[in-house]
This record gives sequence, structure tokens and C-alpha cells, in this order.
Amino acid sequence: MSIIEVKKLKKEFKVKLKEKGFKGTIKSIIKPKYKKIKAVNDVSFSVEKGEMIAFIGPNGAGKSTTIKMLTGILHNDSGSIKVMDLDPKKDRKQLAYEIGCVFGQKEQLWTHLTPYDNFKFFGAVYDIPETVVEKKINELKELFELDSFIDTPVRNLSLGQRIRCEIVASLIHEPKILFLDEPTIGLDPVVKDNIRKLIKRMNKEYKTTIFLTSHDVSDIEKLCKRVIIINKGKVVLDDSMENLKYHYLNKKILDCKCKEEVNLSGEEGINIIKNKGVNLKIEVDTNKKSISDALKLLNPDNIIDINISNVPLEEIISNIYNDGE
Amino acid sequence: MEVRKEFKLMFTSAKYALMREMLNKVTFFSNIIFMILNNASFIIQWIILYSIKDNVGGYSFKMVMLLWALASFSFGISHFFFKRAYNLSNIIMNGSLDNYLVQPKNVLLSAISSDVDVSAIGDIIYGLIVYFVCGFSIDTFILFLIFGITSSLIITSIAVIVGSLSFWFTKSEGFADRMNNMITNFATYPEGIFRGVIKIILYTIIPLGVVSYIPIQVLTNFNLINFLIVIGSCILFIIFAFIIFNRGLKRYSSTNLMIARI
Repeated sequence: MSIIEVKKLKKEFKVKLKEKGFKGTIKSIIKPKYKKIKAVNDVSFSVEKGEMIAFIGPNGAGKSTTIKMLTGILHNDSGSIKVMDLDPKKDRKQLAYEIGCVFGQKEQLWTHLTPYDNFKFFGAVYDIPETVVEKKINELKELFELDSFIDTPVRNLSLGQRIRCEIVASLIHEPKILFLDEPTIGLDPVVKDNIRKLIKRMNKEYKTTIFLTSHDVSDIEKLCKRVIIINKGKVVLDDSMENLKYHYLNKKILDCKCKEEVNLSGEEGINIIKNKGVNLKIEVDTNKKSISDALKLLNPDNIIDINISNVPLEEIISNIYNDGE
Repeated sequence: MEVRKEFKLMFTSAKYALMREMLNKVTFFSNIIFMILNNASFIIQWIILYSIKDNVGGYSFKMVMLLWALASFSFGISHFFFKRAYNLSNIIMNGSLDNYLVQPKNVLLSAISSDVDVSAIGDIIYGLIVYFVCGFSIDTFILFLIFGITSSLIITSIAVIVGSLSFWFTKSEGFADRMNNMITNFATYPEGIFRGVIKIILYTIIPLGVVSYIPIQVLTNFNLINFLIVIGSCILFIIFAFIIFNRGLKRYSSTNLMIARI
């Protein structure tokens, strides 16, 4: 059963246009002109219970607008949204009990209070009895390893510790779906990895459905089994991570150092990325040419060193972004 | 049940905000004490005035004191519990309503009660002190408390209404600020000194009639109809504030994103 069902979702924004300079300002006061921007244009998808899904796209693609519509912050112009069988537009309060939100760039914690006090407060927001909150805090404290700083005011915490607390605060009421909007923004690689592990563990322990947006490809690669890519308000790809890799990873990068120069121009299935005499970097389309054929062309005896690698996922994704334009 | 939960959260919010403010006891107490002193300084001008004249605009010295007591008390309650009603424009403009929209509570109530103004405790204390100095009796005290609450709810509602204009107009926070200041400024002068157009304005656009003047009349000389007028207006203002805010909330998105996009 799908836990999120979105059909033909649309949202337009009216933006006031102003011509250059002071004259333009006067003009826009007398006769304002507006431009309509289609932020989300005919988006449909569904998410299954317990899934970890990556919802990605370039800046201004409509990601945040979509998330905001799913959580009831914004109202859609047309199309339908069902989150846990609720309509966010009409049943905002009811839905709020079922979902949790972490917006990486927006703080919801009280900075001068300790995480513990903050969690108690959020317990009150969701009408959870004191004893239950206490138990839940202890449980999450262990899962998220907050013991050493749970009584330190939030303003004195590091960014990584703060994000962990933000996530815990949004889990106090045991949401069925967690919306994470760029949870690892600004974190160092070690902390990032730590947060990812915690998110994974949470998904496993509580079967929480995770809806993640991130610009960090390794977030997506390490966490999600399915990717939805959105660009200019439209879904350009909705596929499993495996398929994405399979379809786009039919290309290998060969980076080699040869004894003598090799001329490969014009060979089918081979694209020369860099050719600096004996140092050669080529892309091999394995559908057209096998790696062994490529190696034969290079002549194994001629190779001093070689490195064969996949096309980085980051590149695949930016290619998909560009294809949509 | 639902309403009880909302009120419970409102008080919890105030409790946590107070906890935060009390972290530094020097600033906490000095805020309160200086607000009391600040208010007290205004009394001096009235003492001087009444040493020359017995009656200003139909008010005796005691009535002016009562006016100050009520204004300070109700202003204090409003600013203590609903501090952010006076900052609503900014909350709307910078997209902070998002946080309250994902919570299962009333957006307006959670937004405006999410912070407390500590110096407003000084206003509340000052209002009570002046009331007791003016003379205490059980029935006027109960009336004083009731009017303190109605007046604070009315000025909060006005703050919400003018603050909500930001849903429609950008840069409307200046207007909201001036409107709120105007109410505070006018609330501490005797009604009788205003005549003609200004008086009409004070009973309509700036509804000081129901915030200050009628309550003072009822406090000094009880009249059931006037009492009911105050209660009725209070309810109407609250309803109106909710309607305006909720209307605006439907437009919330666009304002938010327009700002982000520009």
C-alpha cells in the first residue's frame, strides 16, 4: 500500500515584475505586472511504506515546494495529494501527528534550552503524556548517542550534534514518515556518515518511511533504494537506484599510462576524454565495445598503469539534470 | 478538549520561554525593574498637572491612575503571552510559519505565543501596584482583572490583524508597528481631552473606547450594558483576527517564496 500518493500535482507562483531602476519602481507601483512561474508542473509519484526515497533535483526544480505541499505548509493549485490517506490541505493537524520534518536550513529547536528540555517541549506539542515522553527520550538518546550533550544548551552544540537533536525532536511523536530536507548540509564527512548510519538504523528499527532531499550524492547513494529526479517542476526520472546505476553505468572510465602513444580516434564506443601523449583517459561504452576489446586496442604490452572506474553517480545525475533542459 | 490542549500548549510555550529568559538572572530582574521605573516616571507629569488643575478631560487624578493601571496591566499581559503578535509581519515574511504549520496545533496561537516579553512582567506588576494604590475592593478587582484580559485580547487581535496584512502586502510591518504604538500612546490619556474627529477615530479605527474608556467608566460606575459591550467587542475582535489571519494563511506560500526568489 502506498503511504504517499501524488497525482498531477501543480503549483504556480505569481511573481511581481519590475523594470530596471527607479523609473521601473514608479511604473510597477502604477501598473504592476506579474509573471506566473510554474514551480511544480504535473508531478505524480507514489511512495511505499518503509521506503527510503531520494527526491532530488537542481536548485529551483520544485523540490521544496513539493515537500511543503506534502506536509501541508503550502496549498496545491490542482492535482491530488494523499499522505497516509489524508489530504494535507484539509487535514493538516491530523497529518502533523503522523509526520516529522527536519529542514536542514531551518532550526526548530529553542537555542537557549537544552536538548532534553526541547524534547519535552515537543512532547507537549504532540500531546504526549510526560512518562511516555521520558521513555521515548531515553530510547532515542541511546539510538542517536546524545548522552554526552543532552544537558548542554543547544547554542553550545556543534552543527552535527544539533542536527542529531533536530532529528530526534522530530521523532518524539513516532512519525510514520520523516521528511528530511538536506539533513547533512554543512557537515563534515565523518559526521555526515554518522548521520546517515543513524537514519538507516531508524528506518530499520521503526520502519519509518524516509523522504529525503539532498544535493549530496553520497547521501542518496548510501541511503536510498529509489530516486525521483525532478527538474523544472517535472519528474524526469523515477527509478530504483540499481536501475539508475545499471542504465547509466554501462560506461567505464579507463585512465591509463602507456609506453607509446596510441591513436584511438574514430573507434566505435570509445570517447576520448583526455589525450596527453602517453597519458590517456577514455570512456568506453560497454554496450558497443567490451573492456577486453578496448584493452586490446591499447595493447596490454604497451600499458604501464591503468585504472578502470565507473562514471561517478554525481556525473550521471548532472547529466540527467541537463538532459531535462 | 481541543481548546484545552491549545491553551495547555500556550502556557507550556510561555513556561519554556520564561525558563530561557531566566537563565540570566541579572538581565531578567533588571528588565522587570526598569520597566516598572519607566512606567512610574510618567506618573510624575500627571502629578504636576493635577497640582494645577483638579480635572483633566473629565477625569480625576484617581481615574487617570486607574487608566494607567488598566493600560499597563493589559499591555503587559498581551506582550507577555503574545509577544510575537507584535512581530507577526516578520514571521510571515521570513517563512517562520513553516515550523508551526507542521505542528498539530492552531498556527496563529502557536506562532504568537511562542515567545515571552520579560519586561512585560514589569508592566503587569506596575498595573497591579497602581490599582492597589488607587483603592481595592473585591468587585472592582474582579472587574479590573476581567477588563485586563479583554483589553489585552483586543490589542493582541489588532496586532494580529495589522500583522496579517503582510500576507497581502510586502513591507507592511512599518504600518503595523505604528498602529500598535498609536494604541499604547493614546491609551494613557483621559478620554475627555479628545473631541470631534479624533474621538470618532478612537472609538472606531483605534478602538480605545472598548480597550480603555468604557472599562474605566464601568470600573468607576458599574453599568451592565457597557460591560457587555466590552465583552462582546472582545469576542468580535478575536473572531475577526482569526478570520483575517486564516484568509491570509491561504496566500502564505506565495509571499514566502516570492521573498526567497527575489
